[in-house]
Amino acid sequence: MHEYAFFLGCIAPNRYPGCEASAIKTSEKVGIKLLPLCGASCCPAPGAFGSIDLNIWYAMAARNVVLAEQMDRDIALICNGCYKSIYEVNHILKHNDELRDGVNEVLKEIDMEYKGSIDVWHLAELYYDPKICGVDKIRESVTRPLTDTKIAVHYGCHLMKPRKERHFGDSDHPMWIEELVEALGAEPVQYRNKMQCCGAGGGVRGFDLEHSLDITNEKMINLQEVGADALTEVCPFCQLQYDRGQVEIEEKFGIKYGLPVLHYNELLGLAQGMSPDELALDLHAVDCTPFLEKIL
Amino acid sequence: MAENKEARIGVFVCHCGTNIAGSIDVGAVAEYAKTLPNVVHADEYQYMCSTPGQTKIMDAIKEKDLTGVVVAACSPRLHEPTFRTASAEGGLNPFRFEMANIREQNSWVHMHDREGATEKAKDSVRIAVAKASLLEDLIPKSVPVEKAALVVGGGVAGMQAALDLGSAGIKTYLIEREPSIGGRMSQLDKTFPTLDCSQCILTPKMVDVGRHPNIELMTYTEVEEVEGYIGNFEVTLRKKARGVMFPDEAEAKGIVGGGCNGCGDCAEVCPVIKGNKFELDMAPRKAVYINHPQVMPLIYTVDFNTCIKCGLCVEACGDKKAIDLDMVDEFVKIKVGTAILATGYDLFPIENKTEWGYKKYENVITGLEFERLICASGPTGGHLIRPSDGETPKKVAFVLCAGSRDNTGVGKPYCSRFCCMYSLKHAHQIIEKIPGAQPYILYMDIRSFGKMYEEFYYRIQDEGAKFIRGRVANILEDATTKNLHVYTEDTLLQRPIDLEVDLVVLASAVQPSAGADTVRKLFGVSNSQDGWMLEAHPKLNPCGTTTAGVFLAGVCQGPKDIPDTVAQAEGAASAASIPIHMGQVDLEPYFAQCVEEKCAGCGMCVNLCPYSALALVEKEGRKVMQVTEAKCKGCGTCGGFCPGGAIRMQHFTTPQIVAQIDAFLLGGEQ
Amino acid sequence: MATQKDYGNPSLENKLRDRYYYSDDTNRDFTQEVEKIGRTIAHMCYQCGTCTGSCPSAPRSSYRIRLFMRRAVLGLEDEALTDPDLWLCTTCYSCTDRCPRGIAPTDVIMAMRNLAARRDIVPRNFLKTVQAIYTTGHGVPNNDVNRAARVKLGMDAEPPTTCKYPEYIEGIKAIIDHYGLKDRADRILSEGE
Repeated sequence: MHEYAFFLGCIAPNRYPGCEASAIKTSEKVGIKLLPLCGASCCPAPGAFGSIDLNIWYAMAARNVVLAEQMDRDIALICNGCYKSIYEVNHILKHNDELRDGVNEVLKEIDMEYKGSIDVWHLAELYYDPKICGVDKIRESVTRPLTDTKIAVHYGCHLMKPRKERHFGDSDHPMWIEELVEALGAEPVQYRNKMQCCGAGGGVRGFDLEHSLDITNEKMINLQEVGADALTEVCPFCQLQYDRGQVEIEEKFGIKYGLPVLHYNELLGLAQGMSPDELALDLHAVDCTPFLEKIL
Repeated sequence: MAENKEARIGVFVCHCGTNIAGSIDVGAVAEYAKTLPNVVHADEYQYMCSTPGQTKIMDAIKEKDLTGVVVAACSPRLHEPTFRTASAEGGLNPFRFEMANIREQNSWVHMHDREGATEKAKDSVRIAVAKASLLEDLIPKSVPVEKAALVVGGGVAGMQAALDLGSAGIKTYLIEREPSIGGRMSQLDKTFPTLDCSQCILTPKMVDVGRHPNIELMTYTEVEEVEGYIGNFEVTLRKKARGVMFPDEAEAKGIVGGGCNGCGDCAEVCPVIKGNKFELDMAPRKAVYINHPQVMPLIYTVDFNTCIKCGLCVEACGDKKAIDLDMVDEFVKIKVGTAILATGYDLFPIENKTEWGYKKYENVITGLEFERLICASGPTGGHLIRPSDGETPKKVAFVLCAGSRDNTGVGKPYCSRFCCMYSLKHAHQIIEKIPGAQPYILYMDIRSFGKMYEEFYYRIQDEGAKFIRGRVANILEDATTKNLHVYTEDTLLQRPIDLEVDLVVLASAVQPSAGADTVRKLFGVSNSQDGWMLEAHPKLNPCGTTTAGVFLAGVCQGPKDIPDTVAQAEGAASAASIPIHMGQVDLEPYFAQCVEEKCAGCGMCVNLCPYSALALVEKEGRKVMQVTEAKCKGCGTCGGFCPGGAIRMQHFTTPQIVAQIDAFLLGGEQ
Repeated sequence: MATQKDYGNPSLENKLRDRYYYSDDTNRDFTQEVEKIGRTIAHMCYQCGTCTGSCPSAPRSSYRIRLFMRRAVLGLEDEALTDPDLWLCTTCYSCTDRCPRGIAPTDVIMAMRNLAARRDIVPRNFLKTVQAIYTTGHGVPNNDVNRAARVKLGMDAEPPTTCKYPEYIEGIKAIIDHYGLKDRADRILSEGE
């Protein structure tokens, strides 16, 4: 059993708790144990916080990392935004003495010290890594294959970019999450400009909702073109933008899509036999029924 | 001469305009020199390398009966030869001259410390004087130069160099690793700015090379090993097994009227089909093939990597019996006086810049692929088509700086120099050949730097090419039509662009040919920081290298267009012909010498010598070491090692070096 | 420095105001601050346009990241920090991913936002997020609908974060207070009312 400190972030536990529940259950079935990381906070949201003062962003993210250092476990998380904060700050502080000393001066006030002793992983990359789990193991854990469903993948931004500061390779035409989707028995579909941003980040969803929705709408148009049954992502913030966003787009732009949006962990949960209730899919703004009818 | 006389040194300190005088009190240094032991003359001047400056040296030698000369000035790499010659003309052996570098190693790096720089200059002069006091007469050794030259690479650079050398009466070996000469230029359709047909202007040169009495053309041949030194290179060539005999090879085997005549009957029956590299895999070739009908020599080649030895070609060849499927590589040793490397370039693998979708999207091609498609002798007979459906494209986007000027670590940081010009040319060709076509040139800059190039840019804009100033961010493909959407910003309009086109041509960066690194290492040539071969001096010696007798021509030294390539090839040929015409070359007399009385004949030095210049010989009943002076580079490895102190490094003897050290540490204010 | 036009007519003076760039408009310190905070070599930008070409916000607004880069290079501090488009970057990092000079334009925007915030130029939603994190530890705090849903899933109503362990909020408050951000956020938000 590979053990990790499970960093939750905000939107997963507080708006889409099904993501949290499924992550814990499904990971256990493939040999990954997610332990609670007590006292964690907002990562902090890189767009909101980093824009105001990067120093506070470093310190608050470091605080979250220190909680895991105290558990002597690497962190696993399920959100691209959290990945940017936690993974990147961990990486920066490991290699930049000046910033590290600055952060530790602040953390000293609350009896904490950043040591740089752990690593940070996105759960999706742990699923993909054959040393930890691997696509085959995912496939083997599936009891209810999502047969005859076309699922499009939204990679999001902070996981893969900038590629020189990540280790995922090609950020223009990646296919590894499609492999994970295929392992569930579904048919991954390609669509135009799949790597474009959802529009939510950088504080833009809060600053100019319509601007962010116009970006989302461009993606919705491309998704509609290929007749996807569902969209999957690995970032609850993107999920919020696409899910609530479709309702907001209907209100503001008068266009209705009705495309169910599910986090990969929710899909994996369904594929491993979890029920929609166990995944709190009723909390989704866009009704998942059309997709559920195809697989249940 | 003057071996046992007391040392009488003359010191000359140069101002070098303000280069030295700006940071160093030259007068003070000259005054200081007068106080040094053995110095009988000290002077200063604005430019010692000038005629009056050199005259000062010559006059002083005669008037003051000098035994040695010190000039404190620039780097010896610049003017050591100048001042050695001046000393010789003054009647002194040129190796009694010593130079103190107070410019590159002093005034140019201590510009803000006049006092410190001046003191350091005094130290340098004191050290030089100490050595000069112990210098001796040395006689350079002359070695004869083999009256032959080698050119590696049969593109336009190599061909031009070979033609010049051959026409100068020098036997020239021109080797080329492909089955035919011609290089990149034979892959081009038209050349900018004249719009000459490339093959048309090249084939006369190819034919000349083929029948030049002084050029021995060896195609499908590579350099295997290089030994020796300037004037006497011993090069082992690997003549790769062609599987096909030349007429004279067949004659030699007794097959009368035999050998390949280029008829192509063999290729007709060959069952193996492969991609034609010359056509960038856009057309097929057989396992026995020629790349195109105008190859030189017109001899077929068997690709033994793909040949299945079915023997159908042997049958088809019939009485000519030109095919020998059992042929193996042959090694040939040649001796040449000088060599020119002209190994050309490859395209950078632009699929590594994933944002542009090369090799993912069918209708994204490189500039070189465009050349083959638009070329009348190419895979489509000169019809530009879209790879996805064979349709004629109307809207074509040219992406400039693709992979060049790139500091991300993926592409190349340099500018590939000729892509702006060939993209303009491509735009012209589209407008000319396809009525209603619209080329878009997406650029950061238009570098139309050469003769008639700016006028060419004017012309292409006038002909209707659309220029959008923006570097292409990424390209997406329309899944149904296979059209491309090119994303950039028109920075001049300040608007983001989504340009839908039928075809995209990437002006890919260029890089040194595969295998160029191996070849240059065989010849002892270095790389520049950017990966191209290193010239002796980027401004004053672009054709030479720091290895005497080896020269560079063409793109292997750095991206350049055809005019510059030909010019450099002619320059390299001229430089390479000098030692050959002089018949002999002087080697600097820094040779090691065996002090036989002290030599124990242990032989340990022999294996240490990196140039294999030492050997043990019998002399008067005992073994002593002997130096082959022509091979000795004076590196000092043996001299530093000899446990008995029996090796003397001429011009860098132990007493001389010790005197320098002592002068520095123990001299000073006296 | 732009010449002042004294026509006794403010709207005329505004319409005809001096648009020239003068060399003393350049604030070298601004460029250096941006590079220091953003940890990127902004001054090396050669205005190729790859960044704007990659930007999802550009096609639907007047936001041009390349222009902000130009302002960083030329040290045009006021223009940069007072332009509301500064807040339209979604930090998708596509520009950074593709910049041929190896610059991170996204981080230049973040640095400029930091510098704008020092001048109290910050959109309200950012400050509201600060307040939420200060009081609950979360930018998106828990709510009753969610608590009920969590319980239905068999989980604790509160996730094991600062929600379940509010004692950790002290630490977060300490960090934010170290930089005085809560007070500033409160002040700016109330001034705007």
